[in-house]
Amino acid sequence: MSEPLVLGIETSCDETAIGIVRGRTLLANEIASSVEEHARFGGVVPEIASRAHLEAILPSIERAVKDAKISLKDLDAIAVTAGPGLVGALLVGTASASGLAQGLGIPLYGVNHLAAHVSVDYLTHDLPTDPTIALLVSGGHSSLLKVDDITGSITKLGATMDDAAGEAFDKIARILDLGFPGGPAIDREARNGSPTAIDFPRGLTMKSDWETRPYDFSFSGLKTAVARYIEQTPTNVRADVAASFQEAVVDVLLLKALAACKSTGIDSLVIAGGVAANSRLREVATERCAKAGIQLRIPSPALCTDNGAMVAALGSLMVSAGRPATQGAFDADSSLQVERVSL
Amino acid sequence: MTISLAIDTSTSRTIVGLLDGEKVLFESFAIGATDHGRAVSDLVSQALLNNPAPERVVVGMGPGPFTGLRVGIAFARTFALACEIPVIGICSLDAIDTGKSDYTVAIDARRKEIYWARYVGGERVEGPSVNKPDEIKDFIIDLYPNVSSLVKLADVQNESEPFYLRRPDAVPTAERK
Repeated sequence: MSEPLVLGIETSCDETAIGIVRGRTLLANEIASSVEEHARFGGVVPEIASRAHLEAILPSIERAVKDAKISLKDLDAIAVTAGPGLVGALLVGTASASGLAQGLGIPLYGVNHLAAHVSVDYLTHDLPTDPTIALLVSGGHSSLLKVDDITGSITKLGATMDDAAGEAFDKIARILDLGFPGGPAIDREARNGSPTAIDFPRGLTMKSDWETRPYDFSFSGLKTAVARYIEQTPTNVRADVAASFQEAVVDVLLLKALAACKSTGIDSLVIAGGVAANSRLREVATERCAKAGIQLRIPSPALCTDNGAMVAALGSLMVSAGRPATQGAFDADSSLQVERVSL
Repeated sequence: MTISLAIDTSTSRTIVGLLDGEKVLFESFAIGATDHGRAVSDLVSQALLNNPAPERVVVGMGPGPFTGLRVGIAFARTFALACEIPVIGICSLDAIDTGKSDYTVAIDARRKEIYWARYVGGERVEGPSVNKPDEIKDFIIDLYPNVSSLVKLADVQNESEPFYLRRPDAVPTAERK
């Protein structure tokens, strides 16, 4: 087959996202977000997200097909996020994908959301990406992965023991009255502050941690430290708190990611997931990777947050690699492990 | 005659049928309140096997437990899009055949409530609504929508949105403090 034309569907959280790729070329990336409906609840409400997915998915597919200037009948395969994520939200995506695939009579790939985040880098960079270390950081996930083959062989080196990095951003933004989602809000506020103003703790970086859980993360202690600092410091400067908190997160993420590169001898790092859109993380990662001689790849900010292009990208890579489609009907798996790239 | 693919996931069953006019070519269901995703895709594959291609999709729009309900609607809509055929939405309670013309019919809405509607002369005169069972008198429960009724109703009804009848559970942060 020449370059496969694949439509990807992503509905694991609050974005209804459709992407279309031909081989490694992005043709359409349509995103409808329900984030504003969740803002007054301070987090994503699963039932609101699921209702929004059902409303948005058909128009989103139609817009993506139009943007890509293709016809549905041209598609070679459908790919869909099968997990992990909110089960009710995932099911709107998997059911829609099954309907499309069955209606068109083409194969369906149920793929892993986390692997898809990493695979989107294949759309932006021409270089061979395997093997690579991948730092996946978003509102729901924070993990360090060793990727030997993005279509089938991923090993989890470590993950967060408590909050995801993006979740920590949301919680601190709430404490600082910066609104939801917290990531972009803190990023903005931090630009006017000093990253070294307050020395917040770096979780799991004691000597004993490096011996027992070198690639795991913990952000709950940091969250408590920030809350306590604000309580005890009536004269606190919000921009400094934001910048110093952000610096602590960025520092610990990169310390561990670079340590993973060093110990595995892999000189390539992909940073993906919503937090990879953070400007300070991108800046410090660029500096430190250059110094360490590590090839750094971070997708453009628009492809870091949840999107359909990443699902289509992984689907396309699976078709090209000759991986089998998902056989028969399947269920969404809200706790799908990252080692299972596809169902 | 029109070939109709009928789908309903508003109850603990996934119900699928393929009809040529009123003639049933295929009819089956799967039991399982959390199995709609897998079941709808399985049953539709079976329905399409060695049968003529559907010319329209008729789907139950609830009321019913949300997660399962959405599976049937999402599948119906994208299948219809792919096949370039229309999709017609039906109030699922209307498609429950009680064998009577004046009656109240209900299905389990969980949380000790029921989804119900009342009919006179076969026409819905009240509902669909959600209430505690003791607020509604003489209702028939434990029946399921059937594919023949779904298809028959498709000539006179087209509901475009699901019947949720309840708001999402969520408390704004301001009220939580």
